[in-house]
Amino acid sequence: MWNTIQCAVQGRGHIKTETPCQDKTYALFKNDIYAIALADGAGSAKMSHYGAEYVTKQICEVLTDDFDMYYAEEDGSAIKRKIVNDLIDGLQKIAINYGCDIKELASTLLVAAVKDDKYILIHIGDGVIGYLKDDEIKIASHPENGEFVNTTVFVTSRDVLHTMKIIKGKLGNIHGFALMSDGTETSFYNKKDKLLAPALKKLMKLSQIMEVSCLERETMKSFENIIKNNTTDDCSIILLVEEDYSFHGYNLLPRKEKEIMLGYSNALLSKKRMQRFGEILNFLVFPNTLFSVSRKIYLKKKYTMKYIDVLLEQNLIVKNKEIYQTAVIMEK
Amino acid sequence: MNNNLLLRMEDLVNNPTARVPVCLCLDVSGSMFGEPISELNRGVQLFYNAIKDDEVAMYSAEICIVTFGGNDAICLEDFASLELQPDPPVLKANGMTPMGEAVNMALNLLEQRKNEYKDKGVDYYQPWLVLMTDGEPNGNSGELSRAIQRTVDLVNSRKLTIFPIGIGQEADMSTLAKFSPNRAPLKLQGLKFREFFSWLSKSVSKTSQSTPGECVKLDVEGIKGWGEL
Repeated sequence: MWNTIQCAVQGRGHIKTETPCQDKTYALFKNDIYAIALADGAGSAKMSHYGAEYVTKQICEVLTDDFDMYYAEEDGSAIKRKIVNDLIDGLQKIAINYGCDIKELASTLLVAAVKDDKYILIHIGDGVIGYLKDDEIKIASHPENGEFVNTTVFVTSRDVLHTMKIIKGKLGNIHGFALMSDGTETSFYNKKDKLLAPALKKLMKLSQIMEVSCLERETMKSFENIIKNNTTDDCSIILLVEEDYSFHGYNLLPRKEKEIMLGYSNALLSKKRMQRFGEILNFLVFPNTLFSVSRKIYLKKKYTMKYIDVLLEQNLIVKNKEIYQTAVIMEK
Repeated sequence: MNNNLLLRMEDLVNNPTARVPVCLCLDVSGSMFGEPISELNRGVQLFYNAIKDDEVAMYSAEICIVTFGGNDAICLEDFASLELQPDPPVLKANGMTPMGEAVNMALNLLEQRKNEYKDKGVDYYQPWLVLMTDGEPNGNSGELSRAIQRTVDLVNSRKLTIFPIGIGQEADMSTLAKFSPNRAPLKLQGLKFREFFSWLSKSVSKTSQSTPGECVKLDVEGIKGWGEL
């Protein structure tokens, strides 16, 4: 089973001009196929958020309906033409509905789809596609900008087929894909060395041990408070990560793995402290205050806080105002 | 460190701000002596101040100043942000008008800077060249033709935006027009440098915040206040 985590936030520039968030993400699971898509609407195109919304949904529908047909087709150019024509046809109808030119619906498009042991990736324009293989984050497709930073290719561009990328293959040791818009690129993609930030691996690994809804909420918080301050543009990300089938919850982990998760892989952790961490995590499955935790484990608040700090640091619990809650899955 | 958030600064990368290279190619020949050069100095100072006042433009605009006067073109300031190079040089008027040599020098510096951006992984916007003169070029004619051809090629391939500006009645508008295949040169009303540089700084600010697909429309209405189309 594969999990999806997605998040899109309105950029500072768009807040100032009261322009809606033009980054859109979409995920679909149908016919045993997982598909995720992300599109970044063109800055100057007034209706591009509608275009971005449409192309993300449509491409996920297309790939979950006909994955095998697209995967089997050896002629890459034919596939590109078919995909683009299909999207353009739909965009044309939307343009008629809104009474606008199709260019007003311009957006980039990034897609990943997985069926059994096979995957398909599609990339038009800027943004970046990363993947997790053998526990390392790699880049599947780099941004396609022109020479200048404010130029790129869109689904509706005349030369879209020249730069559009499609990739297919067997998953092997690939366990995750990540699609990012150019706003997110600012914080996640080192343009000089063409490497992805450690944050991406962190999110992917957390998705294998955390409740998806909790991870999505926390990712959104980080995007609102950090990522969007590094750019004026909208920021979005969508991940598709395979479940870690060996993980059945924190409670069922052997001692050594618990130590690693708590950040004590090289330091000594007494049996008593280990037990306290477990108690806190199990107690905070239901949100609670520091005072309640302190009472539960019979420890003064200032000492309890040290345990809480470790758990926060390791992202095993989350804090919302003065309430703490376990983020790691305890048993499944 | 804020450990209430999932992602922390150390998990992220830090990319440099995308740059807007702006080259001011300015006539400082003898005919600019007196009031014109004083007004030009005030205009450039205002441009620097306005850019410094803008949070984004301050780090993204990189200004280079090439002058033509005396017997040759001189690069007074190479491309750098105003954080590193906060004050403009003082311009002094004397000598000839070797415009072709100056434009060629500006284009060389621009090319060099773009290569540096590429090496360091710094994104950049389309460069701007502001060409200001109050007279007729009298440098090497071969250099002038080469400068015109290079500029036109860059403008036509959308690799450069040029603003040719004529100052006063003696400005050779027909030569300026040759540099700009898409937009007619502008004639500055009187010595309204400050109005022009104020407009220029606003345009740089707007560009420095634009995103892909956002073609920054230059506010021609705004230009009418200070120039003649």
